[in-house]
Amino acid sequence: MDLLNQIIRQPVDPDYAAVAARPGPPRRSRIAFAVVSLLIGALFAVAALQTTRSAPDIARERTELIARIKAAQQNQDALRDRAGALAAENARLRLAGLGDDAEARSLERQLDTLEPEVGTTAVSGPGLVITVDDGPGTDSKAQVLDTDLQIMVNGLWASGAEAITVNDQRLTSVSAIRTAGQAITVNYRSLSPPYTVRAIGDLRTLQARFVQSSGGTWWNALEVNEGMRYDIQSSEQLELPGDPGLVLHYAKKAGS
Amino acid sequence: MIPVIGLILGILLGLVLEPSVPQGLQPYLPIAIVAAMDALFGAFRAYLEGTFTDRVFVVSFISNVLIAAAIVFVGDQIGVGSQLSTGVVVVLGIRIFTNVAAIRRALFRA
Repeated sequence: MDLLNQIIRQPVDPDYAAVAARPGPPRRSRIAFAVVSLLIGALFAVAALQTTRSAPDIARERTELIARIKAAQQNQDALRDRAGALAAENARLRLAGLGDDAEARSLERQLDTLEPEVGTTAVSGPGLVITVDDGPGTDSKAQVLDTDLQIMVNGLWASGAEAITVNDQRLTSVSAIRTAGQAITVNYRSLSPPYTVRAIGDLRTLQARFVQSSGGTWWNALEVNEGMRYDIQSSEQLELPGDPGLVLHYAKKAGS
Repeated sequence: MIPVIGLILGILLGLVLEPSVPQGLQPYLPIAIVAAMDALFGAFRAYLEGTFTDRVFVVSFISNVLIAAAIVFVGDQIGVGSQLSTGVVVVLGIRIFTNVAAIRRALFRA
């Protein structure tokens, strides 16, 4: 504090007073004075020029970065499609390789029940389409958070949903809904609002049970208190894509 | 008269010649400008108080710029360059504010 006080109390170079207090006329140095003022003027001009000249450069760099991000995203989409195609090819080859005896048929049945449940294959069926969005205004309390989506999805599972996607990202047994940076990510993909959650399940009971579940009551409160969008529609036919990114890293088949 | 003509001439020269600042000196340009503004307002206040001497002004300007640049340079070497430039801007900014307030009081008596 003492340092700041001293700066405020003595803002002018004390030498001015000291030199002025000396007897006799002070020594002048007009040329140095002129050169220094010239230098200060040039300094201002150069700095202003530099800032205005670098502004378009910065804008160009920004658009370039955005273009690169878009290209990378497209690349990722293409790779995802390719992974999906390869997974389908895998399934076909596996079927061909299994043969046609009794053991093969029981293995196939096992695969058919397990694959849709863990979320690796595309599924279709009747279900609910729930659309949610941030409330009006910029109030952060009215923004959809990762926890809000987690509570909704858990409510849907508890109500008997068999397969769920969030903005076309299939929830597998290892999917996470979480905030990364500014966006909510599912399967490492950033989503942007509005969020559309599709869930396949028994149409006669799914909606009624969901409305009474923790997810339904939570979102009802959000809609009433924060004005957030919360629409539930039922659909006779939903197509949910699979997530081909699911692989085993460490687990091996027992006995092999 | 000398400083006003010098300033205007300097600005014109800078705009016309468009000298490019070497890459290594670019971080010090804003700091040098804040230091120069501090010296300018300090000089103007001293002028209003009747104690202005051009020799003191020249010395205070050069030492201001050099010390500010040296602090930022040392900061860059030890990895706290941006924090130290903030520090320099804060200290010089306080002085500029105090001096401008005093100049305003001296000129307008308000």
